[in-house]
Amino acid sequence: MDMISIPVVNMTPILPEIFLSVLAMVLLLLNVFSPSGKKSYLAYISFIGIAATAVLVGAGWGGHIESFSGAVILDNFATFFKMIFLLAAGLTVLISDQYMEREECNHGELYPLILFTVVGMMLMASGTDLMTIFLGLEVMSVSLYVLAGFNRNNKKSNEAGLKYFLLGAFSTGFLLYGMALTYGATGTTRVYKIASVVGQMTLPSANIMLLAGMLLMMTGFAFKIAAAPFHMWTPDVYEGAPTPMTAFMSAGPKAAGFAALLRILLVALPTLQIEWSQLLWVLAVLTMTVGNITALRQDNIKRMLAYSSIAHAGYALVGLVAGNGTGTAGILFYMLSYAFMNIGAFAIIILVSKKGETNGNVMDFAGLGFKRPLLAVAMTIFLFSLAGMPPTAGFIGKFYLFSGAVQKGYIWLAVIGVLNSAASVYYYLRVMVYMYMKEPTEEFEWTQVTAPVALALIISVAGSMIPGIVPSFILEFAQQAVKLI
Amino acid sequence: MLGAYLPILLLVIVAVGFGLCSLVFSSLIGPKKISALKLSPYESGCEPVGTARERFSIKFYLIAMLFILFDIEAVFLYPWAILYKKLGVFGLVEMGLFIVILFVGYIYVWKKGALEWE
Amino acid sequence: MHVLTEYPILTILIFLPLAGCLLLLPVWNCRVSARPIALGVALLELALSVWLYVSRQDLPGVQTKLPGYLLSQDAPWIPSFGIRYTLGLDGISLLMVMLTAFTFCMALLVSWNSIKEKTGLFLTLMLTMEAGIMGVFLALDLALFYLFWEVMLIPMFFMIGIWGHGRKIYSTIKFFLFTMFGSLLMLLAIIFLHLLHAQQTGLATFGLHDLLKTQLPADTQLWLFAAFFLAFAIKFPLFPLHTWLPDAHTDAPTAGSVVLAGLLLKTGSYGLIRFGYPLFPQAAQALTPLFYTLALISIIYASLVAFAQEDMKRLIAYSSIGHMGYVAIGIAAWQPVALSGSILQMASHGVTTGALFCLVGMLDERAHTREIAAFGGLWGNIPKYSFFFLLFSLASLGLPGLNNFVGEFLVLTGTMKKSPLVAALAFVGIVLTLIYTVRLVQEVLFQKERQPLPLADLSLREICILAAFAAVAVWMGIHPAPLLDLVHAPVQLLTGGGL
Repeated sequence: MDMISIPVVNMTPILPEIFLSVLAMVLLLLNVFSPSGKKSYLAYISFIGIAATAVLVGAGWGGHIESFSGAVILDNFATFFKMIFLLAAGLTVLISDQYMEREECNHGELYPLILFTVVGMMLMASGTDLMTIFLGLEVMSVSLYVLAGFNRNNKKSNEAGLKYFLLGAFSTGFLLYGMALTYGATGTTRVYKIASVVGQMTLPSANIMLLAGMLLMMTGFAFKIAAAPFHMWTPDVYEGAPTPMTAFMSAGPKAAGFAALLRILLVALPTLQIEWSQLLWVLAVLTMTVGNITALRQDNIKRMLAYSSIAHAGYALVGLVAGNGTGTAGILFYMLSYAFMNIGAFAIIILVSKKGETNGNVMDFAGLGFKRPLLAVAMTIFLFSLAGMPPTAGFIGKFYLFSGAVQKGYIWLAVIGVLNSAASVYYYLRVMVYMYMKEPTEEFEWTQVTAPVALALIISVAGSMIPGIVPSFILEFAQQAVKLI
Repeated sequence: MLGAYLPILLLVIVAVGFGLCSLVFSSLIGPKKISALKLSPYESGCEPVGTARERFSIKFYLIAMLFILFDIEAVFLYPWAILYKKLGVFGLVEMGLFIVILFVGYIYVWKKGALEWE
Repeated sequence: MHVLTEYPILTILIFLPLAGCLLLLPVWNCRVSARPIALGVALLELALSVWLYVSRQDLPGVQTKLPGYLLSQDAPWIPSFGIRYTLGLDGISLLMVMLTAFTFCMALLVSWNSIKEKTGLFLTLMLTMEAGIMGVFLALDLALFYLFWEVMLIPMFFMIGIWGHGRKIYSTIKFFLFTMFGSLLMLLAIIFLHLLHAQQTGLATFGLHDLLKTQLPADTQLWLFAAFFLAFAIKFPLFPLHTWLPDAHTDAPTAGSVVLAGLLLKTGSYGLIRFGYPLFPQAAQALTPLFYTLALISIIYASLVAFAQEDMKRLIAYSSIGHMGYVAIGIAAWQPVALSGSILQMASHGVTTGALFCLVGMLDERAHTREIAAFGGLWGNIPKYSFFFLLFSLASLGLPGLNNFVGEFLVLTGTMKKSPLVAALAFVGIVLTLIYTVRLVQEVLFQKERQPLPLADLSLREICILAAFAAVAVWMGIHPAPLLDLVHAPVQLLTGGGL
């Protein structure tokens, strides 16, 4: 009998994914076998596991290994993004325990779900086959649907979970259809092969099936990164989801969406750059403008940050429109610094809000500046970083992205972006106005800052400031990471 | 080339014929004791007529979901079983891992109490 | 080698105040010990800048890379962008550095007793702002300049918002958004210039002296200059963009107003002199008529509006717009005499208006009102105060022998050579200044007392502040020659006259 020859599979590229999956399963079992009660130890184990994975991922820096016959790759691009995901997950785990305890929904499943989300995101970043990317996206999304609705006793959280699920499934349909059409047009799902097939077409921009495939895939990812006009789910989901999960969703999956979008557009479809950059131009302008203008009118701070996160996706899209080294490296840098500053800001929101997600309005920050000066200073740094003021990471990120756009001649896009970020300053300032210039309306007890939350805040502050003052080393990494694509 | 589809045609004829025959002969030969319950269009314990917004116990959904999960996984065993010898040790190990992961899920579900009806 | 060249003195000028902030941390809540520390740091800055001034002849002077500069410093900062940490000190910056150090000492002294709450934060913000403004006046790398340009905004935002009065939140947000709006477009222009230069020469740099060599097509130049001009004109402020200023000045605490009027406005004119004109000479020339027009409108409009003000602080705020209009005219003329006059006027206006804001602040502390209509007959009541009030009012309206006269005179003389019409119209402005200032003095000092206000005369601390201001004002008015010498060389270089 002739044996089926088993191809030699190099497991190295997916070692971190395997490690995290095993860890997640172990945690799942630990959770059911341990007596009910405190779940903090699960958070600690997850954090250590995430840190260990980060070491594992970091060790792969500089490598370039294709595996699973070109379905998965280990390269600097993937490594950089994996680091962002791990960072987002690590910070989220740190700020989750206290919050979940307070909201009385501290179920142990939280941590395995976060880890599974990370696994999905990692697959998206390292996938070089449309199917792998889709698989990663689904693993990520399914876990996120649950995380968004994790607070079962809260109606808004339920709503968030359901809305996210419905629209997520809807967008997945677009994405998958797009992938199918692309496969139909090129006969392969491997991104590198798509590139060579499309490269050999005589007139790829006239191939309707390919164009439709690209368009549908872009639509699918636009949902995931919350780009206007596919952003409608974002405010409701971000507002309703448990705050640590909102923080996570705004940093991790958004970055993952960009990772996959970058990989598909820049590696598989560079020949169609003129077409997709025109589309993205419109998308970027809409996203920035809609996000910022709507954020101006928000009183609920989670909702405000949701719109702000839409706007930030718009800034990142500016880098993608440029599509050059500077622009794409800018996206990587921006996503990294955005993870720091946004999760930091949400950590402060957790500390200011009270049980049942009350006290979530901008007004509730009144007087924070002098009651809890350190928290207020941290929040100020996050907000200035989000607003893109020097010398913060947010400034360098925007500087990078807009430089990329100007370099490619997209001057008006850069002007629109800059005007948008001027407008955005208003709503960030508003929070600071309440923190420093208004008296608190009512006396209430402030939440204690536990050690993990403090650690998360310290990491976030450092991550929002240091890359703004000495950005060189991170910029080097980002530039290295995009060199290969 | 249509000849290649002949077996399928035969299969369709036999299947439809068998179905028709059973219906016809049972209505002709079988004894009939008609009651209201028997004539109702659906008889699995649910009221056939009434509000469509009736609530089912969540347990049904849970069981249905678990059934689908583990049932679908079993589908993967068939192709593996067919190619078992050709795949050799590699296949055995892979399927072992698969089953272990499935088993973790099973234990989780069990310990969570999802298998208990009451 | 002079001892000053052995140390990175320019870096020390910028970062000493920040180090001072760290010293404040242990005594955050102790007002009594925090104030002297902050003042000590500010005095040290003043001493350093005066030392630089005194020993300017011994400094290395003309260097090959940066002609006309006394001291410079250069280190890589963000190599992947080509951003460098380049600082340089020439006569203009030295004058501005001295003004900064002096103004901050005065501002700290004037707020000695009036800031009763959150003193630690206040002093930290003051020192951070000093660092930022020093940086603006010293930076020669456009990206670095932008960094300091934004950094100096943040403390002012908090200062107005926390310790201000009236519609402080509205004013501070307006101030911040106006400036931010302009500066972001400038940032884009900086990036564009950088990329253009990189394209032409292959050298990625933000250094002013490299970018000066960029070949710019006329229309590109116009766009870029417009972006720079917008940012600077908002700070200036020129007529249609000035609306933030009266609000911000009026609602700021006294120290804030002093710094705003004395220094923040100067960063606009300084930026235009240092970056705007040299980088885009043709565009600047093309836009000169517009610049003249806006400056003239600013002068006349602000003077007219000042006349109608009820609130003293608001009146002085509008007078600032008018005075800065002369600075603008001098820059627009871009001619050695006028430009020297502008630079001198920048310093003079800082001193005079700073002193006037201090005076109004002192009156406000006593009477808790700044309504002109509330006062009258102060001359008999509080003679020492009235003396200084009169002195600085006279300085403000340009009395010969006092500081403002020199600057305005030079500006008008220089402009006369280039465009007599503008100079003639600007003279009208001087008459208007005279009218509203005399009205202010008449109503507040000499009119009959309208309501009995038991006011205490100046304390020793206040006399010290005002005497220091007065000494500088008189010195600059009687003997401006050393300062003119100081700016002579850079002005000649800038206006193309050569050394």
